[in-house]
Order: sequence, then structure tokens, then C-alpha cells
Amino acid sequence: MGFEFSVITESLPALFEGAKLTWFITIIGIVGGMICGILAGLGRIAGTEALGEEPHGIFKSISVVIRYVSGGYVETIRGTPIIVQAMFLYFAFPMLVKAVTDIERFRIEALTAAVITIVFNAGAYIAEIVRGSVISVNKGLLEAGMSLGISRFQLIVHVIGPIAFRRMIPPLGNQFIISLKDTSLFIVIGVGELTRQGQEIMASNFRALEIWLTVAVMYLIMTTVLAMSLRQIERKMKIF
Amino acid sequence: MSNIIELKNVCKSFGDTEVLHNIDLSIQEGEVVVVIGPSGSGKSTLIRCINCLEMISSGELVVDTVRIPEERGRVRQIRLEVGMVFQQFNLFPHMTAIGNVAFGPAKARKMGKTKAENIARELLDRVGLADFENKLPGQLSGGQQQRVAIARALAVSPKVLLFDEPTSALDPEMIGEVLDVMKSIAKDSGMTMVVVTHEMGFAAQVGDRLIFMDDGRIVEAGKPEEVMKNPKSERLKDFLGHVKHH
Repeated sequence: MGFEFSVITESLPALFEGAKLTWFITIIGIVGGMICGILAGLGRIAGTEALGEEPHGIFKSISVVIRYVSGGYVETIRGTPIIVQAMFLYFAFPMLVKAVTDIERFRIEALTAAVITIVFNAGAYIAEIVRGSVISVNKGLLEAGMSLGISRFQLIVHVIGPIAFRRMIPPLGNQFIISLKDTSLFIVIGVGELTRQGQEIMASNFRALEIWLTVAVMYLIMTTVLAMSLRQIERKMKIF
Repeated sequence: MSNIIELKNVCKSFGDTEVLHNIDLSIQEGEVVVVIGPSGSGKSTLIRCINCLEMISSGELVVDTVRIPEERGRVRQIRLEVGMVFQQFNLFPHMTAIGNVAFGPAKARKMGKTKAENIARELLDRVGLADFENKLPGQLSGGQQQRVAIARALAVSPKVLLFDEPTSALDPEMIGEVLDVMKSIAKDSGMTMVVVTHEMGFAAQVGDRLIFMDDGRIVEAGKPEEVMKNPKSERLKDFLGHVKHH
């Protein structure tokens, strides 16, 4: 039973279908994760000096609530395995809905559960990347902005944002690649992504070497594309 | 002449440490006030309180009709009228020289891009940097960066300019170019200026009033030459002795 190249060519169409699904989940995960991450990351430092100056009155109380909610989200997601989150959302959450409401036949599609899981999971880690980059911005630059009389929103968009974003790119590259690879865990809820496709072909022809080698190379190609696009963005941003 | 800045019985504490004790100070429109004093005397804190980068702990601050603490919500109004130049320049590193200067007019004063850039160009020319408008801060010398920072502060057309040790981070050969720009602003535009500095020559030449601070209090104040020639307190005599030797 030597290395059969034809095994690879025969399995390619199915593996491509899997890779397409992996890519689809990853892209939505990255885009959604960025939105969640920016909101939660800024939320964790709402009302602190990292975003200008401390608010007073009612805004002070509101920012405390925002900090706790964001912190709770980040710690809950970071503190539980992604595979448990996916299983909870797919298997347990419908039962929870059934238990507390009258809805009898509530269920979540496996792909929907996968997408939601990856979005919220990536979001929690990206939140910490955002927070870390924002608090690293030199406080003197915030003071320079504030002393011109601009609003907090303008300060965040025009001063803190661009400076922090450039520092986010390397750790974001890490997180995007991790999220892509994490999609392989959705095999447990039956999403037909790349790893699942490989597993199914393997189960019918037992050609482990050819199949897993091909699967590995396909992941490597996808992660390389991600890494290279981030390098490209990094290069395009002004050097400072 | 009316007062544009008034501090009445102002105290400022950081935690348990009180760094300004019962400061009373009035500054008139067009006046150039130079603040000197040893390190830790509260001079930087004093001017940072004026544009509310530090919020006063007690007392009252009035800047161009805005009263603090009653009108805390109008801090931005104060900052539009009170520009600041920092020891470390603090230029926005991702913007060119003209981008830095045009930023205030465009965002804080909500002018169109062309109008803001015209103002910026004019100011860069005034500080002698017309040929450097497309340089990033990292490509400029310290003295050039500080001159861009002065142009940036001027660009929102404030009534008051605060200078927080503007030449202390500069190499000696660059101090002159920055002081020259400051002198020309003081003489030509009639701008109200509050300058924290160790440059006694500057104080003597353009200062209307010299304030000596020590340990969070205003110890002596008056015409710069008189204060420098006839220091009354031992602390000022001691301080002037140290400054003159450098």
C-alpha cells in the first residue's frame, strides 16, 4: 500500500467543498469578530484615561456598566473551550430555550452555530488585542488631541484608532490564523468543513497518509493567504 | 484690559498629595506670563489646570467666561480658546506636518479641508517650515517638530497659548529657533501666553510678568527684571543661582 497520487486527485473535489466552507466560516468569523472585538475591547476601557479623560456624572456610571459587561463577555469566552461553546450552542441551547419558553421545535443549524461560535470566540480574543493596543498609545498624543478641542469620538477615530490599529496587525494575524484552524473543531457538530470532509473520505478508503497530507497542505495555503494579506496591509500603512 | 484667566483659591491634589495650594492668579488678555520654579513645584500642574487636562480639586477657575467646576460640560469650549505646546512635542506620528497643523481647524473648528490646509500652510510658513509640509514628524528634528507643534496650537486660533517647558527636550542648538518663534508670536500677535520655562533670557525679553513657584505656591511675582534683580525670598535667590550657572 504505497503512496497513491490518484487518491488525492479523486478526493480533491470533496476537499475543495470543505475548504470553501472553512473559508466561509473563517471570513465571517474574522469580520464579525473584529466588530465584537472592537466594541468589547473599547468597552473594557470605557470611561478610563486610555480613551481621553474620565467622564463625570451619569456617564461615569454608564461606563462602569459597559466595562463589566465587556469584561464578563471576554472572560467567559476565554475561560471555556471553543469546542464546549459549539456543543453548548448546538445541543444544549435549544434545550434551554425549550425549558424556559413554550417554543417546542427550536433548533439551530450546525453551520449557524459554527459561525456564531467563531464570531464570539474571535471577538473575545480580538477585544484583548484592541485593548492592549489602545492603552499602549502615548498619553501625550491624547492630550495633544484634547487640547485642540476635538470631541472624544474624533479623538478615538482620528488619533487613537490609526495609531493603535497599526500595532494590532501582528497579533491580529495570529488570531485570524487561530480562528481559521479552530473551524476544524466544528467537526463535532457535523459541519462539513475541510477536516470533516477529510475524515469522511478517510473513513471510506482508509488512505490516511494521502488525505491528511492534502488536508494539511490546504490549511497551510489558506493560512498563508491570510498572513500575506496582513503583511500587505502592514506595508501599506505609513511607517511611523 | 479684562482678565481672560482667573484662578481663585485653586487647590489640586493627586490622591493624598496636594500639589497646588490655594493659588490666586489673574491673567489679562495679551499678557505674557512666565512661570519658573524648581522641579516638582507645581508649575506644569498649574498650566495643565488652565486647559483642564487636570481638573482642579477645589476653588474656582474662569477661562474666557467658562466657569469651572460649575460648567464642567464646557471644557471643550475652554480648549478651543486655549492651545497648548508640550515638552515632548506630541505630534501625531501618522500625519504629515501639514496634516498635524490642519487637523485642529478641520476637526475642532469644522472647516473644509482646503481652508484648513491653507491656514496650515500659512502657519508652517510663519514658523519657517514651508518646505517641510509633507514630512512626517519622525523625519523632522526636535526643533522642527516643536515649531510644527506651535503652528498646530495656533491653527485653531486660540486666545491663549500655554507652553509646558517647550525647549526642555531640545538639543541646545535647537532651543534658539523655537524661542525665536515664541518671541515673534508674543510680539506680533498680542497673544496671551503662559510659559513654563527655565529660559531666563526669554522671560526677561518678552515676559510681562514673572511668577516664581515653589512647593505648590506662588512665592514671588512681578516684572521679570525686577524679580530677577531683587529676589526677596531665599528660595528664589537660591533658584536663580542654580539657573544662572547653566
